[in-house]
Amino acid sequence: MRKSKNDSVNRRDFLKAAATGTAAAAALAAAPAAAAAAPARNAAPPPLLKLADAAPANVEVLTVDRPGSDFMVDVLKSLDFEYLCANPGNSFRGLHESLINYGGNQRPEFITCCHEESSVGMGHGYAKIEGKPLLVCVHGTVGLQHASMAIYDAFCDRVPVYIILGNFSDAALRFGQVDWTHSAQDPAAMIRDYVKWDDNPLSLQAFAESAVRAYKIATTPPMMPVALVAGHELQEDPVPDGANVSVPKLTMTSPPTGDSGAVAEAARLLVAAENPVLVTDRVARTPAGLARMIELAELLQAPVVDRNGRMNFPTRHPLNHTERAGATIAGADLIAGLELTDFWSTVNSVRGQVSPTWRPSTKPGAKLISVTANDLYLKSNYQDFQRYTPVDLAIAADAEATLPSLIEAVKRQITDDRKRAYADRGAKHAAAHEQAMQAAREAATSGWDASPISTARMSAELWAQIKNEDWSLVSNCQFQSRWPLRLWDFNKHYHYIGAEGGYGVGYGAPASVGAALANRKHGRLTVSIQNDGDLMFAPGVLWTAAHSRIPILILMHNNRAYHQELMQIQIMADRHNRGITRAGIGNILDDPAIDYAKLAQSMGMHGEGPINDPKDLGPAIRRAIEVVKSGHPALVDVLTQPR
Amino acid sequence: MRKADSVRQLILIAFALALMLTLACPGARAQTSAAPPAASVDNGKKIFSRAGCYACHGMQGEGTNLAPAIAPPPLELPAMIGYLRKPTGKMPAVPVAAASDQQLGDIYAFLKSLAPASNSESLTGNADNGKKLFASYGCYQCHGHQGAGAATAPRIAATALSLAGVIRYVRAPTGQMPPYASKVVSDQDLADIYAFLKTFPLPAPASSIPLLNQ
Repeated sequence: MRKSKNDSVNRRDFLKAAATGTAAAAALAAAPAAAAAAPARNAAPPPLLKLADAAPANVEVLTVDRPGSDFMVDVLKSLDFEYLCANPGNSFRGLHESLINYGGNQRPEFITCCHEESSVGMGHGYAKIEGKPLLVCVHGTVGLQHASMAIYDAFCDRVPVYIILGNFSDAALRFGQVDWTHSAQDPAAMIRDYVKWDDNPLSLQAFAESAVRAYKIATTPPMMPVALVAGHELQEDPVPDGANVSVPKLTMTSPPTGDSGAVAEAARLLVAAENPVLVTDRVARTPAGLARMIELAELLQAPVVDRNGRMNFPTRHPLNHTERAGATIAGADLIAGLELTDFWSTVNSVRGQVSPTWRPSTKPGAKLISVTANDLYLKSNYQDFQRYTPVDLAIAADAEATLPSLIEAVKRQITDDRKRAYADRGAKHAAAHEQAMQAAREAATSGWDASPISTARMSAELWAQIKNEDWSLVSNCQFQSRWPLRLWDFNKHYHYIGAEGGYGVGYGAPASVGAALANRKHGRLTVSIQNDGDLMFAPGVLWTAAHSRIPILILMHNNRAYHQELMQIQIMADRHNRGITRAGIGNILDDPAIDYAKLAQSMGMHGEGPINDPKDLGPAIRRAIEVVKSGHPALVDVLTQPR
Repeated sequence: MRKADSVRQLILIAFALALMLTLACPGARAQTSAAPPAASVDNGKKIFSRAGCYACHGMQGEGTNLAPAIAPPPLELPAMIGYLRKPTGKMPAVPVAAASDQQLGDIYAFLKSLAPASNSESLTGNADNGKKLFASYGCYQCHGHQGAGAATAPRIAATALSLAGVIRYVRAPTGQMPPYASKVVSDQDLADIYAFLKTFPLPAPASSIPLLNQ
């Protein structure tokens, strides 16, 4: 390994020596002699300033030819990250510089973010479209604190985000107050409860091995974020001469599949059931997962209730019974939960008055099967694992990876008699599905011409403009009364990517932009229905979209409130019998009303609105789509009904 | 099947049979002419008893664990007739062959006569004030600014509920809606809000809206 030509003592050794009072000796002698020149244990400390003054100027290390961060880039390139999302921070400045110069700012390409929550949120959305993580670099302490909520969302959503965390590990090498303030003894401690794995390697080779290991761990179900500390000195010191460092080969771990006996038993129960129901949440990670869900449902002619954590099942498929979930589950004699996050609330219903009361929502004796990778790995502190649900058969495995063997097992066990029975029930399910779809359309008519614009109307207007495009909806539908899922034809894996996972507000905008970044190379029209309160957490991500030319249509669901909380305070005010006219205090985003069109324009985006008349909405969306098709983001501000 | 469910099922079946047979009986059927006679509380009481409505709804229509209270009727008469012709949930349907609209009107009159002392009949709503209250009381939060409904709460614009039914439900709701005491929202306030909700027409059918047929 080459060093600078005039570098007789490397910077790290020089500074260490200075800190122990041996700088002069180190400067005057060759590096190996430095240790021998160390003062006797009880000797009085030498006058540091005098010694420093005495140090010849030509021993100061001014350049480094090959810093450790170059090697880190070699390692990261081997993992084939497309993008790096980061807000700059000097704890990873060495890596930053190596990535853009040594690495050529290609694979990964630096995406400038205005907040670490945006960096991680973008990684969250990107991974759900692309099926793999992007790289996020985070500044020590304060940067990680900004990032933490987004990391928690990705953790709860079982999404891989690959985080490199800068830190000034060696206290002797910190330059001043800021470095100390932005350093930690154990930097990843604050997020350890909600990452799958973290490490703090002390050498470049350890970094390389941990980097590859982290990638494998993050992308093996259950997928979760990982964090790797990159020490400031490890980045900035040169790779030692003769260092035996190498980039380990990445071998992806196959996802865990169900035990063959348990899968056969699940198939037996499914085949024998008269009214089986498949409840999906995060089962379809890939296009293959979606196809296999269709195959399994059609094989059994079993209805699917989709909790929509992913794009698990086509919305207009005759066996999609999400719209009539309550009746479907109530009539089931067997419920198979596939990567179902909250099984308890699926088979129980709650009435949330002063004390919540639960009652079963299933028939007595209904059997429950669970297939989930969550049974393989849980953390203790944060309670995202939901209430414990007794089931009759629990298969600890990745459901998508288990589907092929389950399908084969079902095929082996189906008799001709069962096939005839399935055909009959399939016809009934198809009729019930159509009835439910019609009921949804009728419900959408309510307040059709209202101002503010109903969320059903907004969804229908948007659908009219995108239905003939290769579209991808990358926002959560929950706060729009799920209208897109009720009215649109979702049938591709990128048509929907679920929600934030941890219900952490502030996910929507960055995750949408991250998903749009992933969609860009596929030429898809990315659309997002953006909640106003969510955007205001870190609106700078709009600038990132404009700056990085990320095409996305953002339709504001602008109800001018933190509406969920508004309803909660209304409930409290009512419960306490103290009047119900002040619930808006602390919840309303008005006076002054936020002008999101101008906000977008200020970030360099197309912005239009606010639109309050439903007749004006379609043309505004059309204009915005033209902008998006030219490769830029666009925002249309829509004044909407609350939900 | 659990025992309680079996009993419940049997009661429902018995109720349905009794309803069909009793209402189909000529003696019980109202003798209608061109102009329907005024509703008869007495006849409604007889039908209510013979048809076994009480089996699920209680002798005084007060409700049981099998079915909700129906005195005073929570729905306006046309809505109640519509519901009985095509009910949801466990309520058995009452076809015209089993009971005429007139007979159902008699039952309705009987149920109204059973209502606990309420001033809802004497209340006159002010729609303009109701509009203001709908906003200031935060009804819009769950039901939408025009009462059009959302995932959080059903449509209440052009409600089919009677004012008495609204008042009763608001005071003691059965779902996720929090109860509103009269200290917080008076009967007169509710009458005004009710009048406001009644100013809205029923939505157009989805078939008439091209955007909902794509």
